[in-house]
Parts: sequence; C-alpha cells; structure tokens
Amino acid sequence: MAVLNKKKSKVSGEVPMSSTADIAFLLLIFFLVTTVFPKDKGLAIVLPEQSEEVQVSQKNIIHFIIQPTGIVDVKRGESQQVQQVRPQEIEALWRDGVAQNPNLIAAVKTHPDAPYKFMVDVLDALHQANAERISLQLLEG
Amino acid sequence: MSMRGGFERKSKASEEIPSSSLADIAFLLLIFFMVTTVFPSDKERPITWPEAEAAQKIDEKGKNILNIWMDRDGAVFINDQSYEMTEVSQVVAPLYAASDRALVISIRGDREVPYRFIDLVQQELVAAGVVRVVFAAQLEQQMQRERR
Repeated sequence: MAVLNKKKSKVSGEVPMSSTADIAFLLLIFFLVTTVFPKDKGLAIVLPEQSEEVQVSQKNIIHFIIQPTGIVDVKRGESQQVQQVRPQEIEALWRDGVAQNPNLIAAVKTHPDAPYKFMVDVLDALHQANAERISLQLLEG
Repeated sequence: MSMRGGFERKSKASEEIPSSSLADIAFLLLIFFMVTTVFPSDKERPITWPEAEAAQKIDEKGKNILNIWMDRDGAVFINDQSYEMTEVSQVVAPLYAASDRALVISIRGDREVPYRFIDLVQQELVAAGVVRVVFAAQLEQQMQRERR
C-alpha cells in the first residue's frame, strides 16, 4: 500500500561525472590561449664591428659626459663651452640639435665611477628622441 | 535469420572502441609531458633593475637571447656560472657562432654597478664579434618620473 504512494524521482541524486573531463579540457584550452609569457624589455643598441673606426667631423658630434653624481655635461663639437643638464632635459636638447644638424651623432661618455643607471637614463632620453647614431664610450682621464 | 534462430551466437563484445577512458589517456599524456619538460633558462640574479621609459621588447626568439648578469660589485654571471671579465669573449664567441650570428646579448646590470664594468663587458662583446646588444631595463611609468 505504502509503495504506491511513494513516487520515485527520475532525476539522479548525483552530479553527472561524464562531462568533467570536457570541462577540464575547456579550462585548459582557455588558459593555454590566454597565457602570455612576459618578454624581456630593454634598450637595444648595435655595437660597432671590431676595428671599425669611422672618422667623424667634430662639428657633427654632441658630447654627453655623465658625471658620477648623475649630472650630464653637454659639449657641442669644437666649442669648449660646457652646459650642465639633467638626464630628463636631454630629449629636448637632442631634438633641437637634430633640427639644426641632421647628421648629428651622440657621443655618450660615462665616468668610470658613475652608476650604470645614469647611463641608462641618458640612453633612455636619446631613445625617446629617436636618436639612432649613438656612441657609448668610457670617459678617459 | 529467424529460420536459423538459436544457432547464431550473438557476440557480447561491443564493436566500438570504448571512448569513456579517452580523456583519462589524454590527461595522463598531458601530465607526463608536463613533468618531463624542462625549460632551458638561467636563474635570475638578485639585481635592482635600471628603469627606462623607452624600453622595448627584445625582437628575438627566447633561445637566441643570452643574458649576461652583472652584480653590484661587477661580478659577471652567464648561464648561472660566474666568470672573470676577461673570459667573457671566450664564453660568448662559441655561443654566438652556434646561433648562426643571430644571438642577442641582454646585459642585465644592477643599476648601481659602476659604468667601468659595463664598458669592459662591451669591449669583450666587441672582441667576440657580437653586434646586437640590449641593456635590459624595466619599463618606467610616466607617473614615477614626474614624481621624482
């Protein structure tokens, strides 16, 4: 008697397990597609070939002399006049220089005791000003 | 068919390949390859990175990038090994030749390392015939610079 009254539910009480693998694969493919590996960043330069020495007229050179304190002395070509600037000001300086002389070459001379970061700052400013002819040297004497 | 009746024995084995365990096999393979794959990369040295706004992504495949690490005191590390400054060109030259002259050197110097060491490394790289060099730096945000 009691059996008739008890209605048996057709819906299974368990969570369907057969599609878990599909879900796992979907997640896997999603993360495979969206993952991006961080690429190294930096300031690219091209080193000169060995024994490659180019003679450049002094009037086409602008010297950036980096002192250990981070102050940059700017010397244009033959003139002995020295202008002291901060690395942030170099971008504008270079743009002005190139407007006057399209053949300008940047000679970055760094003091042996100057921290690397100051050279990177100057190189950064030159890169931002789209400078391409850059020469990196060690300050002598 | 109906005439022969009971003589034809019906095979109990299903004709189809069981596909329910396919996913398990795929996962096993996946886990196997995940465990056995080793990425060739050197360990990071504890340096403080220089920052640059114009830092750009290195346009070369990962396997063609060689990292030269420089600690604050000027010690040089290539592929997890410490080298003397004078050894650098001898270490880099064969690697450069093996890469068919496609190798890009990423100089990862501490921001406080005196520039004399960076210049020495550059001289060594010129001696090794390397042309493409990148000064690795972290991207500097405009905001940070204005605050300084």
